Amino acid sequence: MSDNGQTSERILGDPIVITEDVKKWFGDFQALKGVTATVREREVVVIIGPSGSGKSTYIRCINRLEAHQEGTIIVDGTELTNDIKNVEKIRSEVGMVFQQFNLFPHLTVLDNITLAPQWVRKRPKAEAEEMGMALLEQMGIPEQASKYPGQLSGGQQQRVAIARSLAMEPRIMLFDEPTSALDPEMIKEVLDVMKDLAASGMTMIVVTHEMGFAKEVADRVMFFDYGTIVEEGTPEHFFTNPQHDRTKLFLSQIL
Amino acid sequence: MTDMMVAPELEIPPEPPPKGPALWMRENLFSTPASAFMTIVASIIVVLAYRGLLAFVFDPKGRWDAVTFNMKLLMVQAYPAEDLWRVWLSVGFIIVLAAASFAVWRLGGMAEPRNVGRGLMGLGGAIVLGGVLAPFSTSGRIIWIVTGAVILAAGWAMRNLTGERAKDPVIPTMGLVGIAMLIIIALIWTVDLPWPSRDVDGNQIIVQEPIATTTTIPWTLIFALAAIVYVIFRLLGARSSGGAIKGTLTTLWVLSFPVLLLIVLRDPDLDTSKVVSLYLPVFVVFSVVGWLLLAFVSRPKTGEVGRVIGAVLLVVAVISFAFPMPFVIRFLLLLLALFALAAPTFGGEGAANRRYLFGWVGTVLVTTVAALVISSESLVEVPGSFFLGGLSLTIVLAFTSIVLSFPLGIILALARTSTMPIFRLLATTYIELVRGVPLITWLLVAFLMLPVALPNGIEVGGVMRAIGAMTLFNAAYLAENVRGGLQSIHTGQREASKALGLSTLQETVFITLPQALRAVIPALVGQVIATFKDTSLVTIVGLFDLLHMARQVIPAQSQPFSFLGSIKWTLVFAALVYWVFTFTFSRVSQRLEKKLGVGER
Amino acid sequence: MTVQVREHQKTPLWRNATVLKWAAQLFVLGAILAVFALLVSQALTNFASSDISFGWQWLSSPTGVQLREGIDVVPDSGARALLVGIVNTLRVAISGIFAATILGTLIGISRLSKNWIVNKIATVYIETIRNIPLLVQIFFWSALAVTLPALTADDVGEYFFKVSNKGFAFAGIFPGLGWLPWLMFVIVGFFVGRYVAKRRKKYQEDTGKPGHGGRYWFGIVLLSGIIGWFAWPLLGFMSHVFGAIESFVDGLPPVVFPIIIALAAIVGSMWWIRNFFESRRTPAGFGKMTDDDWFRVIFAGVSGVTVAVLAFVVGGFSLETVAGDTQSVAELIRTVIGNFFGWLSAAFAGDVSTIVAETQMRVREGGPLVFSKPAVVLLGAGIPQYARTGLVITVPFFAIWTGVTLYTAAFIAEIVRGGILAVPKGQTEAAQAMGFRRGQYLRLIILPQAFRIILPPMGNQYLNLAKNTSLGLAVAYADIVAVGFTIMNQTGQSLPVVVVWMAFFVTMSLTISAIVNYYNRKMMLVER
Ligand SMILES: Nc1ncnc2c1ncn2[C@@H]1O[C@H](COP(=O)(O)OP(=O)(O)OP(=O)(O)O)[C@@H](O)[C@H]1O
Ligand SMILES: [Mg+2]
Repeated sequence: MSDNGQTSERILGDPIVITEDVKKWFGDFQALKGVTATVREREVVVIIGPSGSGKSTYIRCINRLEAHQEGTIIVDGTELTNDIKNVEKIRSEVGMVFQQFNLFPHLTVLDNITLAPQWVRKRPKAEAEEMGMALLEQMGIPEQASKYPGQLSGGQQQRVAIARSLAMEPRIMLFDEPTSALDPEMIKEVLDVMKDLAASGMTMIVVTHEMGFAKEVADRVMFFDYGTIVEEGTPEHFFTNPQHDRTKLFLSQIL
Repeated sequence: MTDMMVAPELEIPPEPPPKGPALWMRENLFSTPASAFMTIVASIIVVLAYRGLLAFVFDPKGRWDAVTFNMKLLMVQAYPAEDLWRVWLSVGFIIVLAAASFAVWRLGGMAEPRNVGRGLMGLGGAIVLGGVLAPFSTSGRIIWIVTGAVILAAGWAMRNLTGERAKDPVIPTMGLVGIAMLIIIALIWTVDLPWPSRDVDGNQIIVQEPIATTTTIPWTLIFALAAIVYVIFRLLGARSSGGAIKGTLTTLWVLSFPVLLLIVLRDPDLDTSKVVSLYLPVFVVFSVVGWLLLAFVSRPKTGEVGRVIGAVLLVVAVISFAFPMPFVIRFLLLLLALFALAAPTFGGEGAANRRYLFGWVGTVLVTTVAALVISSESLVEVPGSFFLGGLSLTIVLAFTSIVLSFPLGIILALARTSTMPIFRLLATTYIELVRGVPLITWLLVAFLMLPVALPNGIEVGGVMRAIGAMTLFNAAYLAENVRGGLQSIHTGQREASKALGLSTLQETVFITLPQALRAVIPALVGQVIATFKDTSLVTIVGLFDLLHMARQVIPAQSQPFSFLGSIKWTLVFAALVYWVFTFTFSRVSQRLEKKLGVGER
Repeated sequence: MTVQVREHQKTPLWRNATVLKWAAQLFVLGAILAVFALLVSQALTNFASSDISFGWQWLSSPTGVQLREGIDVVPDSGARALLVGIVNTLRVAISGIFAATILGTLIGISRLSKNWIVNKIATVYIETIRNIPLLVQIFFWSALAVTLPALTADDVGEYFFKVSNKGFAFAGIFPGLGWLPWLMFVIVGFFVGRYVAKRRKKYQEDTGKPGHGGRYWFGIVLLSGIIGWFAWPLLGFMSHVFGAIESFVDGLPPVVFPIIIALAAIVGSMWWIRNFFESRRTPAGFGKMTDDDWFRVIFAGVSGVTVAVLAFVVGGFSLETVAGDTQSVAELIRTVIGNFFGWLSAAFAGDVSTIVAETQMRVREGGPLVFSKPAVVLLGAGIPQYARTGLVITVPFFAIWTGVTLYTAAFIAEIVRGGILAVPKGQTEAAQAMGFRRGQYLRLIILPQAFRIILPPMGNQYLNLAKNTSLGLAVAYADIVAVGFTIMNQTGQSLPVVVVWMAFFVTMSLTISAIVNYYNRKMMLVER
């Protein structure tokens, strides 16, 4: 399906996500201890790291599902503050895919996809449905449109979730371990879709334990531990020649 | 069974061998010595209780005439006889609508002959036992035993003679309901009921007379119409998918109660001058101005200015309560402010926006008509302040307070689960305070203290006060039920809708509430039933509901016939009426839940 | 890498999420307070024009209320009348809760019985009772009881048990002169027994020999009861101790009491705030609190100060006493506390007046407990009545008690059934595999587990039962609502009576939920 030859042809654009010294506490526990990173347009960044290292917290700060307490986050030129207008703008520009899919169980697959375009983007219903069907086509599951999420397999659900995010025509996509809740044969379905998406030039920040995906698709890999970026670099550099002891230890455990 | 042929690899589980009555009894009644002992004790209790019940029901000295003679009082109190057609029209409309809905939503289902047979056998057995136990004359005893035996035999035949087919669900349950209705019609045409009368010496005696035709003909018509409508809609539904029919029926259900109550039953005396001078201008001004304003506010280009306008309108609406003006204007101002605040969320461009604007005009129309109708005098002439009483008042109290308490309960539940501390504090205080204190106390407060707390000139009738108190009370309980549903929703749902850019209001309306309400439907049904039963408390503050008729009004009558001392019989009748309503409601809602797949995803 | 940061803009107020949130909240709060203030001020003006001014004098002055039953049928003050109502409410509520629990559990288990007829009886019971309004049932029991035979002049005499349309009268055991000292012996015995039982249990664990802890415990309680039966006059000296405390309290200046309450409130809220800060402390200091957290802290502080100020303000209010002179609330508190010790002092001295008024006609000789039989006597105009020598269940009590008990039992039965069904099937199978019989595993395995599931909804039913006793008003049972209603009619003091009702019911609700929560927590601990 995917042609990884395209990966290298992607031309990176201007910085689109900028985080500077971002700190975040839960009660008296500090989950992020000053994260500084920049993601450029059309770039695919993969974040790896041990459990509890703050990967999810970091990407959830980027669309303000969590409010950071210190530092700055700038997404597409807009700084994330408690200005409701900025938050609205960023939420509709950044799509997110969750580990647990989080589809709306009381709506059909198509309604799941068309809900936000209709009410947030104010698209007419017919137009939204047309686009929804096109996306389902792209995901390879047009025949599931009128089913309910509970009737779908995990891989199908996750592809619906991706379609649902794409329906908002986001400029940036966040993935939080999109394949961790899936059986092995379904993982491939979802990864293929993600590869296509990367090939089409979407800016993506992906938290994943799929090292194959990282090697094949990523422009850059970041390694998180204890709330900071310990090491980052291109996949070749990162996997073949890690600098840090912690990175080496982590890679030796999972590879 | 033919499916089994095409799939031979499926193994058919072996049939359990048929159980004879002896085996059944050994397994279910005498499995252990302890069980046998319990069976004997329980049988004695059943026989004694059944005998006592029959003795009470068929006691020749029983005062059932207090019930039959005062049936109109129990149902509609002093509603004028020449206007009774309004009552029949309302009852008939609801029953026919119910029949149509049963047909369209296919609530009927199919029963298995063996189950129907078992039911018939139980009924027949009970009748035979009754014939043996009850203090009847010999001929009465024989009639009972023979009738029971016939039913018993029919049930047995159905259970056993249909053989293999006994397990196929082939009997439509609605057909059974139809047969039951036929039997009821047959009974009310033929059976004599007790009426008080006087013998030649002027002593009060009780004679048996058939029911007056004022009730037999309407009931027959209604049942016949219901059956016909059921069949028609069943056929219609078989053709089309029924989306449009379902929509129409739902609208009819929503509108039927206020229209029947306020227009058909209340028969308002519409004052043309008031219509021309107030309500028509109000309607025109609010729909036109509101249309323009909302059209402006909901344009995406308007942006924050829209929110500011909405907020200003809200302040104006709140302040308007401090100045004298017709209530309808204040209310519409408040509605307009809310519509304006919600406009950026639910309005938009093109069709969606047009729907929103028409929704506004519809709301204004309903509000003005309702205000007009409520503020008009009733043409139905009855003594006392309210035009209904007895069962009809009970239903009005229950229905109105349930409908009104739903929005309030949902708002309270949202406030209590909100992240905003003052809202949470206010909602929690309200809910815990209201729930902590019994309903009767709140009714007393509404009847003794509210009149003095209201500004001069505002008067609220007794029925309205009861409805108000019950609504506020109920809302607290509903809020707790809804809160349970809200808390059962996975946080991922909220995060996903935020990540998609839905606003909090949109998230609540499209994602959270539908799931929360669906999750707690059984609890909500329970609350509705509780409210229906709770309406009986208004008898303590002196409203003339069903219970008040049964325990106070009828047993105190001595003219022209004396019903003194008939309270036991009237109470039992009232209990039966309450029971029929609550039991039917709980069963129908169980069916509906199954049909809608509540709890399944 | 070039970083393009757009000019850092300050968020305008009307778009700041925090500002908007608080503005909306304050607006709603203001609107609600305004409506409330409007209603209250209107009520006050309306009352002022009708010559009724609200106050609390009626608490301490005669109200002319006469009650049908209770510990005192002609209470000398409003407070006393309310006390009678409260005791009557508690009487129905507590005995009803016990009876409904037992009956409901039995029916719930029957509902799961394999015995067809038992199962069907339980089903019919539940479906009948819970679909008929409680008030209808209460009226029915009342109507049924008044059709019992009337008392006639021929009935005069003593009985062990007597039924009539005036109610049911039983012989019973009542507190006698020495009951309080005797109770002391029993309570001390209980704790000594518990200590010994624990020691025996440890002995059993250490040595493996049977410890018979329960038997020791029971034996010690029994022994101390027997000793106390004869030795209770020995505790007469306690009378002097309590007497001394009474005179000490009476000698305190009244201002002491508001000071104690205010101190307790302030210290309590400070303590809470300190703990809260402790729990929120982060390495970066205290700055990481959300607006919600700050609100809680402010709220805790404000409520502490408010209670403290209220203690002084309310303490200064003056009331009219029975005797006609005025007394401040602080003095009233002093009197109440003093009287309590005075009452204890008298009780240990074996003073007759400490025995509640209802028993005044009972034989009072003898020891801690007395046996007394009901009697039918002719009152004033020759009307036969029960003398108050036995336990008399009046018709109103019978109606309300039977009503709430049977009604609540139906709901409890469904809860018990649901709880048992919720216990995983594997438990039953495991128990059967171990050779337990049905009765055994139900009692030993299933019910204890079901209990955890059952407890919270059961607590709700207890609350409902307690609140439903207020329907006693409809059959003239002198509960707190009926008494309050009577006082309202006699004095016109509607607002204060409503306040008393709310205070009582909210306190009762909180108490019941506290008890249920306590057991709930205990269950959870056991589970771990
Ligand atoms: N809402 C919260 N409240 C308190 N602590 C939290 C919260 N969310 C996350 N944490 C803590 O923050 C730390 C980082 O969590 P995070 O979910 O970002 O880790 P992660 O790197 O995504 O781990 P995983 O690979 O297991 O998903 C964890 O120690 C977690 O316990
Ligand atoms: Mg994570």
